[in-house]
Amino acid sequence: MENLKVKEIVDRALEEISKADKGDVINAIRNNYLAKKSELMGLMSLLGSMSPEERKDFGKLVNDAKARISEALNKKQQEIANIELSKQLESEKIDISLPGKKVELGGKNPFYIIQDEMIEIFTGMGFSVASGPEVESDLFNFELLNIPKDHPARDMQDTFYIDNNTLLRTHTSPVQAHTMQEAKGQPVKIICPGKTYRRDNDDAFHSHQFAQVEGLLIDKDINIGHLKALLSLFAKKMFGEKREIRLRSSYFPFTEPSVEVDISCFNCGGKGCSMCKGTGWIEILGGGMVHPNVLKMNGYDPEVYSGLAFGIGIERVAMLRYGIDDIRKLYTNDVRFLRQFEKKA
Amino acid sequence: MLVSVKKLNEYVDIKDISVESLTKGLTFAGVEVEECVTLASGTNLVIGEIISCVNHPDSDHLHVLNVNLGEKYGVNQIVCGAPNARTGLKVIVARPGAKLPQIEIKPSVIRGVESNGMCCSLLELGVDSKYLSEYQTKGIEELPNDAPVGEEDVLGYLGLDDTILNLNVLANRPDLLSIYNVAREVGAIFARPVSIPTFEHKADFKTELKVGSETPSCSQFSGCEIRGIVTKPSPKYISEFLMAEGVRSINNIVDIGNYVMLLTGQPLHMYDADKLAKKELIAKSNYQGGFVALDENNYDLIEGDIVITTDNKPMCLGGVMGSLECAVDESTKNIYIEAASFDGASIRHTSTRLGLVSESSQRFVKGTNHFQSEQVIALASKLCRELCEATAVSDIVTYQSEEYKEQVVETTINKINARLATSFTKEQIVDVLTRLQFVVKEEGDKLLVKVPSFRLDISGNADISEEVIRLLGYDNVDMKLPVLPTTVGGLTLKQNRQKLIRDYLLSSGLCEALTYSLVNKNEVNCFNLLHNEEAYQLLNPLMEDREMFRTHILHSLLESVSYNVARQAKNIPLFEVSEMISKKSQTTHLAIALCGVNSKQGLLKEEPYDFYHMKGLVENLFSLLGVENSRYRFDVNKLQGELLHPGRSAEIYFQNQLIGRFGELHPRAKDRYELGKNAVVVLEMNISPLLEAKVSQIKMAEISKYPSVSRDLALLIDVNINSGDVIKMVKMSGKGIVTNVEVFDVYYGAPVSLLGKKSLAIRITYASKDHTLQEKEITLVEDQIKFDLAKNFKAELRG
Repeated sequence: MENLKVKEIVDRALEEISKADKGDVINAIRNNYLAKKSELMGLMSLLGSMSPEERKDFGKLVNDAKARISEALNKKQQEIANIELSKQLESEKIDISLPGKKVELGGKNPFYIIQDEMIEIFTGMGFSVASGPEVESDLFNFELLNIPKDHPARDMQDTFYIDNNTLLRTHTSPVQAHTMQEAKGQPVKIICPGKTYRRDNDDAFHSHQFAQVEGLLIDKDINIGHLKALLSLFAKKMFGEKREIRLRSSYFPFTEPSVEVDISCFNCGGKGCSMCKGTGWIEILGGGMVHPNVLKMNGYDPEVYSGLAFGIGIERVAMLRYGIDDIRKLYTNDVRFLRQFEKKA
Repeated sequence: MLVSVKKLNEYVDIKDISVESLTKGLTFAGVEVEECVTLASGTNLVIGEIISCVNHPDSDHLHVLNVNLGEKYGVNQIVCGAPNARTGLKVIVARPGAKLPQIEIKPSVIRGVESNGMCCSLLELGVDSKYLSEYQTKGIEELPNDAPVGEEDVLGYLGLDDTILNLNVLANRPDLLSIYNVAREVGAIFARPVSIPTFEHKADFKTELKVGSETPSCSQFSGCEIRGIVTKPSPKYISEFLMAEGVRSINNIVDIGNYVMLLTGQPLHMYDADKLAKKELIAKSNYQGGFVALDENNYDLIEGDIVITTDNKPMCLGGVMGSLECAVDESTKNIYIEAASFDGASIRHTSTRLGLVSESSQRFVKGTNHFQSEQVIALASKLCRELCEATAVSDIVTYQSEEYKEQVVETTINKINARLATSFTKEQIVDVLTRLQFVVKEEGDKLLVKVPSFRLDISGNADISEEVIRLLGYDNVDMKLPVLPTTVGGLTLKQNRQKLIRDYLLSSGLCEALTYSLVNKNEVNCFNLLHNEEAYQLLNPLMEDREMFRTHILHSLLESVSYNVARQAKNIPLFEVSEMISKKSQTTHLAIALCGVNSKQGLLKEEPYDFYHMKGLVENLFSLLGVENSRYRFDVNKLQGELLHPGRSAEIYFQNQLIGRFGELHPRAKDRYELGKNAVVVLEMNISPLLEAKVSQIKMAEISKYPSVSRDLALLIDVNINSGDVIKMVKMSGKGIVTNVEVFDVYYGAPVSLLGKKSLAIRITYASKDHTLQEKEITLVEDQIKFDLAKNFKAELRG
């Protein structure tokens, strides 16, 4: 009789649990069936009137019933919690395509990207970075570089003058002379990035202001093979491992021999395209062996020391690498242009 | 320098060398070929004669021609639109299949009439219109009556079968401004024999002409008298050559001058002998006064200009232009020819000052061979006999202040190879130098290299090595990275800090700008926040906008901002780091301009830039460089002028030195730069002291093991009291247990604004290093703080 009662209670409870769909319903059921004053617990009072055997069996029966209900309740409660959590999570869904909360990266004028990268390449080879004044004396800009007054080469570099002896440097080469004089006959290994000025009308390819990276290496037994090797390494780092260089004879008053350096076209790989005007090669820089007169004037014995020097146009490299068709775009600072250069490496 | 390949072939046989190879060979040897053009081109050309010409039945301007093309091609019908087509005219015919520079000729039917070819103008063959008369450009070319009908080498017949190389002659090789020397160079490069003609001067009489120089600027002067000349047009070979060289043919006398100069590189001048008061030509450089030149202009000459005088009167501005007074014209009978050497610097000064730059003056400026004048005059006088019917030629009279000295450079094979990183043999080196017309003598290990007189650029060992490598090629150079004692390269502390600052600003969302250093004179001080040091001004600016060397960046940066505003940019954060030079100082500046809205999440989180954005950047810059708070401070901006908002700007002091100013832009300044309603904050700072500042190494501080307690305070204070002062006061009253004070809210609005006050909420953190703070301890300190605030700032404490 009592056994049937227990079974009936359990069935009822399980029935109610299966229908429950909220956490508080579960709590109510737990209270109804498992609290001390519940019907099931009330049956425990019958134990006193039972024989020890009966007591044992009935006690087990009630305890089992309690355990079944409790287990069902817990299970159901977990289910409901899961559903409720899913609902909550569902309701908290966001639009992941909205932009992230960030400080936007700034765009670096490609001029600086190239300048910084060149500095990195050459400092990696053990060069130091020197600098010199943009307002320069005639002595350093010309005479100490083997360009005496009225030398025809001065026409190659139309100059902005401040007065008869002071000018805006037309190249970064005066830093060569400054460095040599400071080094007092000791070996030198420097590059010098910097702004330079020439009396040129601005157009797509000319600018009254432009920048160079000057390189100078002086020691005993330096030769043109060293120049070729250094610049070949530079070309590969700057334009890719597959780049080759070639040297063409040229003329600068402060180097002898002087060369123009071409790199194999990185656009077509040397097959010939519009970028390299069909030649497969692009002119990127000039250099040579430091002229013995320059060494002598700046305190070196050209019989003992020799040197190599080169100059690379920063804007030219930037324009080539990024396909910029007008040098003035580098000086306009249109933020739409600058923001294209957010990438850091 | 334009070089006719056809003419070159007269002196060095390169007919079998393609133009491409020629160009490449020259370019690699350092003689860059900038351009390579054919004078004219066309295939399937033939000379024909128009045997009948009738009007086209269906056109008001076309003609139907029957043209006899000779035995091989017979008579062909051609429809032609040229106004000058007429019976009996000898013409150039492009037959079907002909390829002309612009078109390809095909048999066709033009308005119902069959046409087999085209009668051509020189324009259609690609001849530049600058060499053609207007008549020639409007119709078909009219060939002379004796033109051979049926001739297929039409370009050869016309003298247009030529290719012109445009050489970029570098400053060290003025000798290449001469066809003879280009031929020598080509011969050397391609190892071909070169035959430059030499001329024997035949004198018919002794001239009474006296030549001389009273100035060191003219070291050599040769003259020759020529009698009985007749001016007339030049023969075809001269005019064709001049055309190929880009020079217009004028008449035989003028043309001889140009012809000889182009061949030899030596400019000539001719005087009408009968117009000179005396038989003398003396070079001087101390003449001052007027000079009426050939171009009929009056020029003011000054000391230093080289003049050729007769009886102390200037007859020629040496190397630049002759006088009108003794100019050669059609009636001239007797002439003096001058071949002189002038100092390049003097010519350069004169020609640039007077704006008279010519082929002649350029040659003197770059340098001429001082020791070839007699050969040059011999050639010129020979041409005068041949082309001008000269009846008599005098001997050559010469003034020469310098002796020709053979130049010999001493070198060794080892020295050459060491400089070049090559392993050339003696035979290779001697061969190259010999090809270049050096004379090499061996003396033991030594090579004694005699330099030819036309090579003005060779003076030492290094020059010889260049000659060797430019002909043998840089491909022979062994590439080897230099092995040197290890040196510490890399950036200095200063350079590293500058990079750090730039990288920080980039990571903070600012764009790095690049602007010009040269600015307009009127603008050089127009946005100068820092100092008024005198700026450098150019003597010879190109234009007004680029006349002064700037002493600060902001003006340029604001112009860039303005450019972007005009293009509807909403977020314009720019900065630039640049060297500044004034007459007094050299410093590194940082300028920042923030304009518009700062965006954190697209359009969702936009915020107009304000004073505090900039202040935050500055504070972080100091932290980044390791500069403690105590070493810098912000102060009220005392700068006058309508640049910065007076109430929203500040000065930056680093170790009590004013190094920068920043703030929101003054509304008037905003108008000046046309920045509209955008929020704009700017900064200009001299960062040199920061780049050089000594900073101490970081030492870790022990973190307290005991808990900290935060308490908030809300104050009502006068609106003009700086919160910074409040914080200082709290810290001072805090008796060592206040570890942090932060403002977390400021309220300026009504009703407190009506009282002239603002409400300030601050959070104070209390902690001790050696024990857990007791409630009583904190309250005691807090009361002290409240008391001090009330006493010093009349602060009312709120709820």
